[in-house]
Amino acid sequence: MSDDIRRLSDELARDPSSLVYLALGETLRRRGALDLALKVALRGLERHAHNPAAHDLVGRVAADKGELERALEAWTMTTRIAPSHAGARRGIGYVLFRLGRAMEAEAHLAAAAADGDDEAAAALSRVRAMLGIGAPTELEVPAGAPAELATEPPSSPPRALRAPSDDAARTLFAETLADGEHTALLLDADGFVVAGAYVTEDGEDVADQIGAELSGVRDEAERMVKHLDLGALRSVVFETDVATVAMTPVGDDAMLLLAASKSTPLGLVRRVADRCADRARHWLSEVA
Amino acid sequence: MTTAMLTEALASLTRHRGVFGALVADADHGLVVEATVQHGVSADAIAALAASLYRKAQLSSRAAGLGDVSLLRLEAGGGQLCAIGCGEVVLVVVAEARTNVGLLRAEMHRAAERLA
Repeated sequence: MSDDIRRLSDELARDPSSLVYLALGETLRRRGALDLALKVALRGLERHAHNPAAHDLVGRVAADKGELERALEAWTMTTRIAPSHAGARRGIGYVLFRLGRAMEAEAHLAAAAADGDDEAAAALSRVRAMLGIGAPTELEVPAGAPAELATEPPSSPPRALRAPSDDAARTLFAETLADGEHTALLLDADGFVVAGAYVTEDGEDVADQIGAELSGVRDEAERMVKHLDLGALRSVVFETDVATVAMTPVGDDAMLLLAASKSTPLGLVRRVADRCADRARHWLSEVA
Repeated sequence: MTTAMLTEALASLTRHRGVFGALVADADHGLVVEATVQHGVSADAIAALAASLYRKAQLSSRAAGLGDVSLLRLEAGGGQLCAIGCGEVVLVVVAEARTNVGLLRAEMHRAAERLA
């Protein structure tokens, strides 16, 4: 075992909830230890289900292993959480091309290139050159013949974490939420989602629906504290059949909504909600 | 449950340190069924507002696919309110902000079981 892998493994053992598994998984992948890299990535994913970088890592390892459907699934999930994740979009283009779905690959790469991704633009040029400029839809590229497209799956660092503000908003709470048992949204006064994501187990993002349905509770709570002269509203927490939901005002008109699994201790729900609210306040002060 | 048992259930809640009052309200209409509150606390207002808040949370939770609300807690600078649904009624407790919520919650669940 090399020193850096040993160091990263030790660090992960000391703090299993840290994000160091991303570096460990990527290092293992680059060293060709693909089975171990996948194991590390999947374990990380269990704790960080809403982190796009975690899904991206699974995608890269799976692509290296030749498990293209799995890679496509992982990268698709990445883009559901972070729609402009450049690495995932290139990855989807790569896999689609490998699967012989050249037209779709071209469309994905073109969209990524249009957003300023130079690497996607370069891959797009190669795809179009192979397919014939202006007539890519007429060609079917056999699976297993894309060596000219890319010699390896996209391996650059996930740009989404440092670039578009849209992704920054969607992943605002990814690091604060220590595991996949929580999800958080920042809502405005009208119940519209400002930041965060609410992804169901089958990958559907229902943030808008959840935000719209639950935001009315705050209005009712504000009415109550005003009439009963209870002072400023600090939080509303309700326990349901499947979850514990905590709502905390953030500033004058925004609200942090945290949903945790029913098994999560109430004290932990409160602490995580407080941390997410602090994160939201800081972020709002930066983007204001 | 007899009125005496209901009164005793509410009294057990108001014996907790920091509790201003406890009451049972009709869940649909927000009317007081039984109340034990300190002087100066409006049971009618609490019943109406708490039932309304609980009903709103219930409807919102169901619409969001999260199921039925079993317990709701509102925390504010000057106090807190807890509500538990028991069929057609809601058990409500109003207390100081510093009241031990863990103890109160456990006692409310016990009282709710007696109400059910």
